Amino acid sequence: MTLAAGLAVMAVVIGALGKNPLQAAGAVVDGSLGNSFGIGQTVQIWTILILAGLASAIPFSARLWNIGGQGQMYLGAMAAAGFGITLPASWPGAVLVPLILGASTAAGAGWGWLPAWIRNRYGASEIVTSLMLNFVAVLGAAYIIRDAWPQGFAQQTESVSDNARLPVLIDSLRADISIVLAVAAALGLWILMTRTRLGFAVRALGANRAAALLSGVSEGAVASAAFALGGAAAGLAGGVFVLGVHGALLNGFSAGLAFLGIAVALAARLNPLSVIPVAALFAILRVGSNNLQAGAGLSPATGDVLIAIFVIMLMVVGVIRFSYGELVDG
Amino acid sequence: MEQPNPKPALALRGIWKRFGAVTANASIDLEVHSGEVHIVLGENGAGKSTLMNIAFGHMQPDAGEIEIEGRPTRLTSPADAIARGIGMVHQHFALVPAFTVAENVLLGSRSARAGMLDRKGIVDEVSEVSARFGVPVDPSAVVRDLPVDERQRVEILKALHRDARILILDEPTALLGVRQIAVLLEIIDRLRDDGRAIVLVTHKLGEVMEIADRVSVIRRGRKQVELARGEFDQQVLAKAMTGQLIVDDISRSAGRDEPEVVLECRDLTVPEPSSGPPVRGLNLRVRAGEVLGIAGVEGNGQRALIDGLTGSARCEGAIRLNGEDIANALPRRLRRCGVSIIPEDRQGRGLVPDMTLAENLALVDLLAPPDDAPRFVSWRRVRAEAKELLEAFDVRPPDPDLPASALSGGNQQKVVLARELSRRPRLVVADNPSWGLDVGAIGYVHRRLVAARNDGAAIVLVSHDLDELMKLSDRIIVVYRGEISLESSRADVSLDDIGLAMAGARR
Repeated sequence: MTLAAGLAVMAVVIGALGKNPLQAAGAVVDGSLGNSFGIGQTVQIWTILILAGLASAIPFSARLWNIGGQGQMYLGAMAAAGFGITLPASWPGAVLVPLILGASTAAGAGWGWLPAWIRNRYGASEIVTSLMLNFVAVLGAAYIIRDAWPQGFAQQTESVSDNARLPVLIDSLRADISIVLAVAAALGLWILMTRTRLGFAVRALGANRAAALLSGVSEGAVASAAFALGGAAAGLAGGVFVLGVHGALLNGFSAGLAFLGIAVALAARLNPLSVIPVAALFAILRVGSNNLQAGAGLSPATGDVLIAIFVIMLMVVGVIRFSYGELVDG
Repeated sequence: MEQPNPKPALALRGIWKRFGAVTANASIDLEVHSGEVHIVLGENGAGKSTLMNIAFGHMQPDAGEIEIEGRPTRLTSPADAIARGIGMVHQHFALVPAFTVAENVLLGSRSARAGMLDRKGIVDEVSEVSARFGVPVDPSAVVRDLPVDERQRVEILKALHRDARILILDEPTALLGVRQIAVLLEIIDRLRDDGRAIVLVTHKLGEVMEIADRVSVIRRGRKQVELARGEFDQQVLAKAMTGQLIVDDISRSAGRDEPEVVLECRDLTVPEPSSGPPVRGLNLRVRAGEVLGIAGVEGNGQRALIDGLTGSARCEGAIRLNGEDIANALPRRLRRCGVSIIPEDRQGRGLVPDMTLAENLALVDLLAPPDDAPRFVSWRRVRAEAKELLEAFDVRPPDPDLPASALSGGNQQKVVLARELSRRPRLVVADNPSWGLDVGAIGYVHRRLVAARNDGAAIVLVSHDLDELMKLSDRIIVVYRGEISLESSRADVSLDDIGLAMAGARR
């Protein structure tokens, strides 16, 4: 429903610009799925968006607002860069890759756990703290890039060792194993949310905090777990950037994808399984809009504008749905 | 009362409304004249709220007509209804908690659209309306800080400020205590004298007897009977409402001689509960198989006591459950010790409305499980157990996959009872377990509580309803300003004694 409404508004905007919406849509599809280069890029973005979407979806399910996906992603990337550069390059990939990605996941989980801990301990809003921790993480990455392992004067660290790079799955698309990991993460978290007591506690806390508390939920533990799980997904995304996409830690590598993850989570109605197709749609939009100028005579900036409108549409619908009970007080 | 104006202020004629297979209203007629209180009486789910929502433009009837002052009218929205002089006070208030009373009253009314807000002007204007109709509220108070009865008065002021000549009150007494109800009825009386037409929806017979000029009884979507003052008494109304005479058949087994003390509070003080005034230095004991009834005018500390007992507020002093100190234990530990909690606010604290009945029934087992419980949930088993419980507690419909929000209030409460009482609790803390329920469901709740008592549970029952307390309690305590002003076995106490103690008299 929401997706349909968003697409409709986008069509109207393109129409208002005097262009044919269908032609624009064609250009987007062509740019994202029309050739192997585009497909490869789309799959990359899809991977990241699945993980970024999960990073929001799990805490959101408990009505905890993780705005710190970016920071958690950065922590994961920093861990990947640190280990990828310093661990012996002679170790085989089968050891290096799981080890480093594990470190990324753990680093993201820790950074995600922090706002939950502050909330439990001091009652500070996790929205503010998780957002602020983004800045800390970004500056930490800047230190690593400039001082710890600089690559000359380039805006990136040294490259990680070859054995630490993610194995490529499909050569022509340059698609690596990260998409498999992302889909597996989504599946795993879906099982966790629907089949385990922890997942039930997360959902109960989100659906009615007062009733959940009175029924005996341990709020601190559940909040910490939800945030750590979200952070773990974001951290894994950071690791994927370093070991897969770039081979190094780049300045500004996340390109706003962490925040787009919030929209992915909302559009997916916080369902980890739905995150997979929604992230695919967003990836197509993101990659395909680069082709708007050639394909439909629209400025490439239009693509970003359209995504922004789309995201706002989703947020409007999402936010009304998620905070209605807080606005109206019986 | 003779009507000087032959045209009714509001008339609903032949209203039909269906929701799928359910007929909520079947050809209902309702008239209310200026200077008249017309009570719409019926059990929950009888179709009263649907009818009122149609009268206020929330819903469109499938068939039927609405006339205002004799003119046929179509109400397409509440804004439409307001513009035509109808005001409605909903059961769940629509107030902005962070705003003052005056701001809430002005919100959405004509003068708020002028652009600039004149703070002093607003307050004066609201004070004036408040004084004119004798609806006491402090206009500069912030709504968040107000108790529920004052919030309701703000809603009434909102309607009056918009000059509503027809006032619809949906279950206005559901949330109020005895004295608050009296104040509300006085206000309604004044509005009647002022020539307003008032429609009051309720399922409580007492209110009808007190202020109704006319009463229409609705059952299963159909109007059963309409009676003018002098034509009705409680028996007739109860029969029309339920279709049967209510038989009070609660069998309580005789208590054992000296059963063990399950709950003991010593010098219990709950200093600052968020829910209202504190209790101080309370001593009480409840034995196995005993119901301790707690009476008191709302706001004398019964909320604090409940919060202290259920781990929802910090307390001082000792609370012992079978000798084990449970003061300041969180609900999680209480649940594991066999404490069951039936909160007053079913939808807010008792249930998770968006979750299924199966999930709601398993809530406590899953959220406060024993240490060795498996991490994975077997939903198949949860559903099977839920099915059994739903049958055993006569929840309708007994479908474990339905969301709790789809049930009527009475059935929702049965779900809470099923969850809390099927765990074979040692202690049950029940907070107004029957408020807002219809007569049939109240009887069911009472039977279940007594059954739990007969099975050996200790029960702490807080209730606004003195009849309920007298019926269920073995002993009764009255709280007044956070202290016990009366303690007695039920057999040795009269309603008059309790009334005096509630007003602060000590024996």
